[in-house]
Amino acid sequence: MTTVWSGFSYIVINLARFIRPNEITFSGVNSTLPMLACLLAKRAYDGEFIYINVAGGVDPRPSHIPVSSSDPVLAEHSASIFANEDFYDLCARGRMDLTFLGAAQIDGAGCANNSVIGSWEQPKVRLPGGGGGAVMLPTAKRACTWRTEHSKRTFVEKLDFRTAWGGFYGVVTPIAVFAKQEGRLALASWHPESSLAEVRERTGFTFDANDATSTSPPTAREHEALQALDPDGHFERDANIVLR
Amino acid sequence: MSSGFVGTRKRVPLRELVARIPDGASLTLGGSFLHRGPFAFVRELIRQNKRRLEIVKQSPGYDIDILCRAGAVEKLRAGIVAMEGNFGLAPWYRRAVELRQIKLEEHACASLTAGLRAAAFGVPFQPCAGLHGSDIPALNRWKLLEDPYGNAAPVWVIPAIRPDFAVIHASEIDELGNVRISGTYHWDRIMSRASRSVLIVAERLVSTSVFEANPESTVVPYFMVEAFSIVRNGAWPGSCWPDYAVDYPAVERYLKPGDECLADHLASGPEMRQPA
Repeated sequence: MTTVWSGFSYIVINLARFIRPNEITFSGVNSTLPMLACLLAKRAYDGEFIYINVAGGVDPRPSHIPVSSSDPVLAEHSASIFANEDFYDLCARGRMDLTFLGAAQIDGAGCANNSVIGSWEQPKVRLPGGGGGAVMLPTAKRACTWRTEHSKRTFVEKLDFRTAWGGFYGVVTPIAVFAKQEGRLALASWHPESSLAEVRERTGFTFDANDATSTSPPTAREHEALQALDPDGHFERDANIVLR
Repeated sequence: MSSGFVGTRKRVPLRELVARIPDGASLTLGGSFLHRGPFAFVRELIRQNKRRLEIVKQSPGYDIDILCRAGAVEKLRAGIVAMEGNFGLAPWYRRAVELRQIKLEEHACASLTAGLRAAAFGVPFQPCAGLHGSDIPALNRWKLLEDPYGNAAPVWVIPAIRPDFAVIHASEIDELGNVRISGTYHWDRIMSRASRSVLIVAERLVSTSVFEANPESTVVPYFMVEAFSIVRNGAWPGSCWPDYAVDYPAVERYLKPGDECLADHLASGPEMRQPA
């Protein structure tokens, strides 16, 4: 019997795999899974990277992992406070290597809607809004996002509203990892318990899959790091992510 | 009339601090989501039945939600709105927008900051990087400006945003009104510079010598502060680093429907149990 790779673990680990040594990497508000990915990468990978976050932390050593990804505990043991204007300006001047940003709807070019379902003037659902994306997505060197639901509702041919242009470099869902290729999202890999056919079936836009394979399973270090971050499974239960 | 606020009689009870806000005023609120927001002040706005407020904040959550729930808001200018934690969207805010009970001016957090910077810098507008390809600039009829020096691509320019009041929850204040914040100050600094007046709710009153020993940690100097109140735990149910964390059960109770629930929540504010 093979170990089931949970959607929660799949998303956190595959977000972490986008983090590269020596780069400035940012996690923001409403971003529990990227926060865990950054903390996991610090534990599981050898290459050092610069982790900054929305609480003003710079390579912090938080005494516990907070429920809110903007909790001030994420600046604990930080030797400086790099506050909101600072990290936005850093991104605006082209020095943000990797940022994680939320997105409600994503199109085939990796653009994001975070504003509204329905028309902007008469919304069916009012979403959080412009946030970091509209400025960070087009100015960061790379931006990655995640969706806990992989469906044609979230992966659409046409966005209801284009909050942010620029295109994600990477997108992770419970069943797939997409990465940008020539300005479009291409399938990089699928969950070992999913398939190319399932990803196509559940995605509203067309995508290239020529280089796609089954995702490499978690390494022992990745697995141990996630266990250490979420020893009693609180985060996994709160996230409540299912493959299908 | 002086451009600064002087004197040693700035400390007032919270009720009097909030009484300075007229209906229809524009307020920028410090903090971010559930962290170090001026929430005791916000609850007192509701108790005093303020109406037609304009709220300006990059990342409001509990504050805009409870103000919408109480019917106090006419317009919001914001970047991202959510309860955060594990609570998701802000339900009463969301309903107020969907039913078109309030006007929304949707921003990116950085474009709202650009508007505040324009006011702080004494210029009519401020360029903001990014935004190209977004549908947001057209919503707000922002203009794209050619680089007059011919060196770079055109940039979006955001008109100045000058709130009547910046309302900030701070860690420490002295009797003159010097202000310190532990941990990140989020956008509070630029909010204080952009606004016509600054009102502070602080956890503690400390001696001026504390400020003199580390002047570089003062976020707002006294002459920008019109008045202040001391309210311990005033950022409840949010956090105020390092004094207290988010009270998640209280946020959960707040989110239950019904007028009675709102009344109970307002009655539970720590400001209700402190001498004025």
